Amino acid sequence: MTTRTTRSPRRRTVVALAVVLAVLAGFIVRLVDIQIVNADEHVADSIENALGGSQTLYGARGEIVDEQGDTLAGSILLYDCQLDPLLITQIDTQILDGTSSRRPWIEVSDDVAEITGQDVAAVRAIVADALAENPHSRFAYLERRVTTEQYRALADLAMPYIVCVPHPARAYPDGAVAGNLIGFVGSDGTALEGYELSANSCLAPTEGSRTFQRGKDGVLIPGTEKVQAAEDGGTLALTIDRDLQWYLQQLIGEQVQDMGAQRGGILVVETKTGKIRAAAEYPSVDPNDPLASELDDRGNWIFRGTFEPGSTFKALTAATVVDAGGQNTESTVVASSQETFANGARVRDAFAHPAYAYTLTGVLIDSSNAGISKFSEKVDAQTRYDYFQRFGIGEGSAVSFYGEEQGVLRPSDQWDNQTLYNTSFGQGLTTTMPELAGAYAAIANDGVRMPLSLVESCTAADGTVTTPDLPEPERVISEDSASQVRAMLENVFLQASYSPQVAIPGYRVAGKTGTGEKVDPVTGGYKSGVYYTSMVGFAPAEDPEYLVVVTLDEPTKVTSSAANATAFQKAMTQVLKTYRVMPSTTSPEVLPKFG
Amino acid sequence: MSAAAQPWGSALPHRAPDARPDGIRPLRVVDAPARRRRPRRAFGVIAVVGAFVIAGAQMALSILTTQGAYEVAALTQQQRDLTYQSQILYDEVAGLSSPQYLAANASALGMVIGDAPSYLRLSDGAFLGAGEMAGGSASIDAATRGSVPNALITGTPLFTDPDATIAEAPVLDAVMGADGTVSDTPPPITDGLPTPSTH
Repeated sequence: MTTRTTRSPRRRTVVALAVVLAVLAGFIVRLVDIQIVNADEHVADSIENALGGSQTLYGARGEIVDEQGDTLAGSILLYDCQLDPLLITQIDTQILDGTSSRRPWIEVSDDVAEITGQDVAAVRAIVADALAENPHSRFAYLERRVTTEQYRALADLAMPYIVCVPHPARAYPDGAVAGNLIGFVGSDGTALEGYELSANSCLAPTEGSRTFQRGKDGVLIPGTEKVQAAEDGGTLALTIDRDLQWYLQQLIGEQVQDMGAQRGGILVVETKTGKIRAAAEYPSVDPNDPLASELDDRGNWIFRGTFEPGSTFKALTAATVVDAGGQNTESTVVASSQETFANGARVRDAFAHPAYAYTLTGVLIDSSNAGISKFSEKVDAQTRYDYFQRFGIGEGSAVSFYGEEQGVLRPSDQWDNQTLYNTSFGQGLTTTMPELAGAYAAIANDGVRMPLSLVESCTAADGTVTTPDLPEPERVISEDSASQVRAMLENVFLQASYSPQVAIPGYRVAGKTGTGEKVDPVTGGYKSGVYYTSMVGFAPAEDPEYLVVVTLDEPTKVTSSAANATAFQKAMTQVLKTYRVMPSTTSPEVLPKFG
Repeated sequence: MSAAAQPWGSALPHRAPDARPDGIRPLRVVDAPARRRRPRRAFGVIAVVGAFVIAGAQMALSILTTQGAYEVAALTQQQRDLTYQSQILYDEVAGLSSPQYLAANASALGMVIGDAPSYLRLSDGAFLGAGEMAGGSASIDAATRGSVPNALITGTPLFTDPDATIAEAPVLDAVMGADGTVSDTPPPITDGLPTPSTH
């Protein structure tokens, strides 16, 4: 039985409890609102209004490395230092009033100039000019892109009006070594050329951020720091070897100067894999200082230059007639130095000679235009076109270098009577160094054309490795045909007039020269007396491992393709040494020149 | 002795139930309600001490965390200084590993790049290659005709010849003959026999 007296306190308890619970519920709702529902807003407010701070975290741009992992392009920090001219005048005024014990600007500017290497007058002029323009100026660049050492020295001056902002920059430890491949970035960090530009998605870092709150003394309040880490860019590994690349750049530089040529290039391909081990050219660019090179020299000429190949294409025609026309190394034609064909086309050799019964080998050794023209009649024009195409002519290369050009190979039904024969010795069409290298590498690699590559892989910061997508290797000619063409090319280097210049003691080398005509852009005809000379070859001839192409644009001291012989011999020697290719233990089979 | 007089007593005063055989409890006047048990002082002391301990522990933890924050700040500063130092050192040595610098140093010592190599096969003692003697001149002239510039080390003195840089070729003593072969006449000894400087 409950009485009034016992009911009353119980009700009071219930009411009190209800009130307490209601208040508690109110607090909980508000707490959830603050901590969860509108948390982001409040955190942002706290950072903006209170002692919070935030910072953008910069990741480092990825490195470009060579085959061995040696750095070709790396990231460093430079600093943009700025002055506060108004603060300088204010401090100077305080010094005059006796309220500041700092050193006056007239003294500090001496130190600043000594650190940055600027002229003292120039440093003072920066402040004076800024104040002349705007007496309340609070910003003027002292010097941009100063080194860490200079920046620390400036910071040690402890002057509140000097502020330096870090500025990510690139350093290329090897200078111009592979400069034409790597490319460079602008002073604002924008990738401008080469792999810096085309592989930017691999190299570029992802920005992060850091927010925090500080106590009055500047120390971070524990538990308030939030970090979204920046992600560094990936590492781009190229297939080239930097020491070999340097040697070849030095070599082609000397050769271009010795021969009075305009440009020169050396391309080295590992025939079994299609990997480019060096792509040296002169003139080149030092990515540390691209402005020191002429505008035309800052790009890449090996991948972007096209030329009329000339006689190097005779080997491709020979491969075609061996593979599809039933010819062999000792098949013969009779050719004199000047031949007129049934369709009215006329073909001349570079030197006068009577009618010779040339073997196919002999045609290549003497580089007879008339001879190869006669051989080209063993197959129809369409077949020759198809074979050129299968050799990769007019296709560019699988490297897909930024801005890479392609040769121009017109369909065979557009060949006129003269072009029908001219194409057999490399006239009336154009090609590029990578296309020529790819075609010869197919002959060296038992008839299988490997796609050329210059990028090994891209390794992201988290360790993911991406390799470039390359087309499948393609069989161009049969193994037997390839072996016959190799034997003929070896005999070219054994029996041609320039044979002693290209011989490498201890090794069997095979190859062919080419002298291409150059079109004069003014007249539209061929330039007289200047050529685009090339030499392409591989070693060891019995089991080819490396292929070297050397080109010179308009050599003037020696205008024929013999101008390339010295450079080719030295380049191939260095390649064989670099990769420890063992000297040959077999002797070449000497093939007859005449039938 | 009553329960009240026994402050540390342990139980309520025991009252034996008045049981009657008929099971009927007789009505009787109720005693004054038993006095509530007084809470023991020990609980109070424990509670108060506990509160102090908790407060003290929290304060100690807080001090430790704050101290940690200062340590972190000091270490961060140290890390920053070391990063600056490593950057300065990286800038200083940049380019010294380049092939240009190596080649220029080597040629300042009079080293040349040889021609075609020869190999001695250890397994059967076979000699591979032409076995020709290397000439006295290098196949390229990295010293005086450097055609691969490197802006990082243009003015850096060579390690092997501090008077020269890669841009300005070192002057080699004329030990080589005009035809590039090693001269038969040794250079005259002026300062006694040359000795290697060792550390």
